[in-house]
Amino acid sequence: MKPSRKEIADYILRMIEDLSHDWDYSRAVTPDSLLFTELGLESLDVVVLGTTIQEHYQFQMPFAELLAEIGQREKRDLSIAELVDFVDRHLNANLREAAPVTELSQ
Amino acid sequence: MSVKTLLIGLDGATFSVLDPLLEQGHMPFLKSFLAGGIRAGLRTIVPPLTPPAWTSLMTGRTPGQHGVFDFFRMESDGSRHIRFFNSNDVQCDTIWSLASNQGLRVTALNFPAMFPAPKISGHVVPGWVPWKQLRLACWPEGLLDRLKSIPGFNQRELAMDIKLEEKATEGCSDYEEYAPWIELHIRREQNWFAILRHLVKEDPSELTAILFDGVDKLQHLCWRFLRPEDDRPLETEQELRLRELCLEYFRKLDTLLEQLCDLAGPEATVLMASDHGFGPTYDVFHVNAWLEQRGYLAWSDAARSHDSQGALLGVGQVARHTWLMDWNRTKAFAATPTSNGIYILVNRDGNSPGIDPSEYHSFRERLKDELLSFRDAPGGAPVITGVWTRDEAFSGPHCETAPDLTLMLRDGGLVGILPSPRLISRRPIVGGAHRPVGVFAARGPNLRRGMDAGELSILDVAPTVLYSLGLPLPLEMQGRLPEEIFEGAAIKERPVLHAAEATVAGNGYHTVATQMTEEDEQIVMERLRELGYVE
Repeated sequence: MKPSRKEIADYILRMIEDLSHDWDYSRAVTPDSLLFTELGLESLDVVVLGTTIQEHYQFQMPFAELLAEIGQREKRDLSIAELVDFVDRHLNANLREAAPVTELSQ
Repeated sequence: MSVKTLLIGLDGATFSVLDPLLEQGHMPFLKSFLAGGIRAGLRTIVPPLTPPAWTSLMTGRTPGQHGVFDFFRMESDGSRHIRFFNSNDVQCDTIWSLASNQGLRVTALNFPAMFPAPKISGHVVPGWVPWKQLRLACWPEGLLDRLKSIPGFNQRELAMDIKLEEKATEGCSDYEEYAPWIELHIRREQNWFAILRHLVKEDPSELTAILFDGVDKLQHLCWRFLRPEDDRPLETEQELRLRELCLEYFRKLDTLLEQLCDLAGPEATVLMASDHGFGPTYDVFHVNAWLEQRGYLAWSDAARSHDSQGALLGVGQVARHTWLMDWNRTKAFAATPTSNGIYILVNRDGNSPGIDPSEYHSFRERLKDELLSFRDAPGGAPVITGVWTRDEAFSGPHCETAPDLTLMLRDGGLVGILPSPRLISRRPIVGGAHRPVGVFAARGPNLRRGMDAGELSILDVAPTVLYSLGLPLPLEMQGRLPEEIFEGAAIKERPVLHAAEATVAGNGYHTVATQMTEEDEQIVMERLRELGYVE
């Protein structure tokens, strides 16, 4: 069953919110929160987040391409909402079910 | 339950650094450990690099078999984008999964290629994970909250900070930065030890493993102070203070090694191993600048205005440098400074940039010859002393994703991948770089005492771990059990057993049963017959 955008958003927001407690981050984590300039993440943090998201949905997504694209923007940042959009776009492309376990190893 | 086998990883440890420290009295425990056990050089794989080397240690297989070649890899086949490696890239069983699948518990701390963590019975805290993401990386879920109860636990200092990692290989611009950096690594090792001590006391595992990577970091950055004989004598008070701080790191490490062995107990087999050796490096070869000069690579317009922020190698700019290239006019490029590897672009579908597939072998040979012929001055010494093709270095089912050529520089150093007006840069201070031979040390029941075993292969560590746990060795494992390090009677009383490897499905960690083909069974039966176990 493919997840809805709301389900994806709830999952990602909750994950980052839980992580932020380890950082002593005092501000609210919202869909508008910016990963680099507000949450203070580095590129490798997004890599780990991306790997975790791919593991959760058992589906490979081009996170390296996303990071490269961010690097070329004037404002080099990504909001949680944009991250959700990226995941939603790739998960639900071709109107397919989430891939089986073996796909990540191919 | 108690610790049966303790595996201690010492990233980059090398006898050229350790032996003087042992002689000068800075590591008395390690000295006595070696005197009462086994010491050997440990030859690593090509390239002598942390991710493929530790993966080879964990699997007993070469990179072409396990699929990890570098810290980075292309995002997908045909992609120009680079991503960081992870455990899903490991395409065969590891000692962790093999032990866990056989009903043993495993605790593995700070090893690379462990994120996402394997769902083993035990505990995993992977290395090379940013500190802010450690909660996601630990296994089982909730482990991080248990660790937070340990006095002095410091998540931020424990896990990876990419800016600090960059410092190890790029160098520090100011001696003032060195002392806090060395002190941080002393605290990190103590932090990792505290975690292991907690887990051994609260929830022990038969296979317990911990990796100290500060050895590698210090040797990269502080080679000048560890081995001044490779450059010039230390002169200033600051240089002498920094040497003393480096020695303090190794003294503290020695204390931790002793405490670890005490924790494991006298009945445990203790193995220490490094993933590669170390030696001095003086130069940086700007390989992409060299490729550009020969017309094999073209930079994009963006490269002309790119600010490399003083970076020598480009370790922190790996993902960015791919958009510095003009892909339409590039035939060969170095993707990362860590692998010393060159990729050749091949126009496979007839519509892409790159060379024609029919020209691949001749192009590769020509490039290899030109690299080996390159000298930094007329009549000077060759800059590159070895070039391996993909087939030579990475033979195996996964070699297609490996670099087409892998370079060995004359001083074992790393390449620079960023645009550069020079082809060779002299490092401001001598640095440390990886070498092919690291260290192996072992002590425990049935092991010989005071033996110098010469040189073993890093592929032999996994069989040794499995044998010490009483487990069979997978037939496909390329390493061997070095029987010569055991007392003669021990092997006779408990001969090596082999088993077919579990089928790898998904990330390889969910296999449950060992499945043997009819051929495998025949091989095993024949071996059992030879040993007299069956008629």
